[in-house]
Amino acid sequence: MDAAAEQKYNLGIVRWFTVMAVVYLVVGTLVGTYVASELAWPFLNFDIPYLTFGRLRPLHTNAVIFAFGGCALMATSFYSVQRTCGVSLWSDKLAWFVFIGWNLIIVSAVITLPLGINQAKEYAELEWPIDLAIAVVWLAYMFNFVMTLATRKSSHIYVSNWFFLGMMVMITYLHVVNSLAIPVDLFKSYSLFAGVQDAMIQWWWGHNAVGFYLTAGFLGIMYYFVPKQAGRPVYSYRLSVIHFWALMFGYVWLGAHHLQYTALPDWTGSLGAAVSIAMIIPSWGGAVNGMMTLSGAWDKLRTDYVLRFLIMSLAFYAMSTFEGPIMSIKTVNALSHYTDWTVGHVHSGALGWVAMVAIGAIYHMMTRTFHTEMWSTKLINAHFWTATIGTVVYVVAMWVSGIMQGLMWRAYDEYGTLAYTFAESVEAMHPYYAMRAIGGMIFVTGALLMLINVLMTVRKAASEGSVRAASTAAVSA
Amino acid sequence: MADNNPFPGENNTGHIWDDNIRELANPPPRWWMIAFWASIAWFLGYGVLYPMYPIGQKPTEGVMGWTQIKEYQEGLDEVVAVRAEFENQLKDMSAKDILANPGLADYTVASVKVLFGDICAPCHGGGGQGGPGFPVLADDDWLFGGTVETIEQTIAMGRKGIMTAHGKILSDDEADKLADAIAAGNPTSDPNFLQKGCIACHGMDGKGMQMLGSANLTDGIYRFVPGEGESIKDSVKQTILHGVNDVTDPQTREAVMPSFGDRLSKDEIKKLAVYVYKFGGGQ
Repeated sequence: MDAAAEQKYNLGIVRWFTVMAVVYLVVGTLVGTYVASELAWPFLNFDIPYLTFGRLRPLHTNAVIFAFGGCALMATSFYSVQRTCGVSLWSDKLAWFVFIGWNLIIVSAVITLPLGINQAKEYAELEWPIDLAIAVVWLAYMFNFVMTLATRKSSHIYVSNWFFLGMMVMITYLHVVNSLAIPVDLFKSYSLFAGVQDAMIQWWWGHNAVGFYLTAGFLGIMYYFVPKQAGRPVYSYRLSVIHFWALMFGYVWLGAHHLQYTALPDWTGSLGAAVSIAMIIPSWGGAVNGMMTLSGAWDKLRTDYVLRFLIMSLAFYAMSTFEGPIMSIKTVNALSHYTDWTVGHVHSGALGWVAMVAIGAIYHMMTRTFHTEMWSTKLINAHFWTATIGTVVYVVAMWVSGIMQGLMWRAYDEYGTLAYTFAESVEAMHPYYAMRAIGGMIFVTGALLMLINVLMTVRKAASEGSVRAASTAAVSA
Repeated sequence: MADNNPFPGENNTGHIWDDNIRELANPPPRWWMIAFWASIAWFLGYGVLYPMYPIGQKPTEGVMGWTQIKEYQEGLDEVVAVRAEFENQLKDMSAKDILANPGLADYTVASVKVLFGDICAPCHGGGGQGGPGFPVLADDDWLFGGTVETIEQTIAMGRKGIMTAHGKILSDDEADKLADAIAAGNPTSDPNFLQKGCIACHGMDGKGMQMLGSANLTDGIYRFVPGEGESIKDSVKQTILHGVNDVTDPQTREAVMPSFGDRLSKDEIKKLAVYVYKFGGGQ
């Protein structure tokens, strides 16, 4: 029990964001597994429009990125900014506004997306009134964070906060520009941009949702929780400075690599590919710094299941930040684009890196904000293995299927004519779609174990009265 | 803070956060720094090879002279060159002539396979096996005729079967009996087949007329496949009562083959006719 922390910091808001993150992890991956199953077994549409892949797929992506990812980011950033600044949040009221606002936005997404109310911009599907709400809530989040930094008791700003702040600034900028639209009515708007400019703006946002939200933000998580959980110093301060600024300056250029061999001008595509490759090493800077933090303490992995999540996430991070740039090169992109390889790549990042590092951080925060041990340590271990195996099964299925797809689409026979019809490639995908759905099911099983463990821990804390005890216990100054 | 460092002897920067978070003053690994500078060199070098820098009036073109259009054109030229040997011969040949030349027929089948898969297979199946409501192309039972010329005409101009709804001139009982006779493959056994004028389109013997696209009712092959839980007789009765493409009956059967004359080139249609013919049912 850390009574000092309970009384010094606002841990209540962290508890709520933490538990909601776990709820959304289950919901988001469950919807994902359902749509994956629809691709393998289309009868699952049941001819109900609200259940079709086109309606549920954006619900899946929004749920995992913005509901799960958002709550995980807000929980971890609010938790770590207080502890690394040595002060409570600048405004508790504003923090609760962010919690309620963000969750209402999630509810509005759950309602509008299955109804087909959709801006048709990938990872920015929500219609304009919701976009406005996102901007307001996001700015409130950033303002509270910045003011907490401004009132800090520590002399320097810790590296995790640089990454969180970098994310907040860039996501504001990206979200606002990409969402510029002319409303027709409450549920319909048209983008301010047209044609290839619209595509470029869309992917400038799309890739940076990955680069700043899912990478910079989650590196912020890594930089606080890895050294804290391992009890080890971060390996290199200088490395953290260089790779931070390299990522900040580099990432904004990558979007063009999503549009190779389209109407996008040649120079823009080359620029996207060139910077993408140049981003491998800065990305690895984060992975190296996190892994080297463990040097001399590798034995902890044998007993510390939370640390296992964190380290496995860095391994996946290093792998997918190598894979992505390779796919952005024109020659590889000509094969990989529009195939399942892209889907596999995204999920090695999303399941392997984003989800795992957040899961590790959530288990870490659970015991420290509810002031009690986890209900079951064995379940954490079971979750680790289901998450890892589920991710590997998913990613391998999509690699095989994606590369096969790419090869079938471009195969010519001895007459110089296409060897396969599109439908033949779809037929060839079927076993891999089933395998992918099974990988998803394994991953969801782990998420369910986590939800049970978290809810039982909350119940345990309630019956022990551990939170109240921490908030009233005498603290020596 | 360096003066009262709680982790004495550790090579840290002297900044401590949250009781025990600190960073070491290690330099980045040597391999990492080398690779970092190499990345910057790569970036600059890539822009020399490929079009990349948006400087001045026009972006730089790169010393390799690469453009995506050029790459596309080169890829296309390569396959077009392989095809040319055959395409040049096909150009002035009729579908029938192509069928008479096994080498060219093989090429035609290979070259149009994907087109068939994309635009014909959705209704007629990948192997011409048909589907619910769509005719089989792989057997020798043809509504409008199975010569390669007729098939070509069908693709180019489309087809629309017509049968008036007979619900007004047949009682339910009569329709039932007639359906029984047709389902048994013996339409002429029911006197109504003659009296109600079915013979006008389906012929005296009930074997249909390809000029009109009317179905052969004696061969056990049915244009409209029974739906789930329906017998052949039920399905036949439905057709008798409501007809085919009869605008006066809302429950009428729909049977339309769209025309592809405006969407495909003459050569493509010719090739598709050969492809369909080669399923084995061509006449």
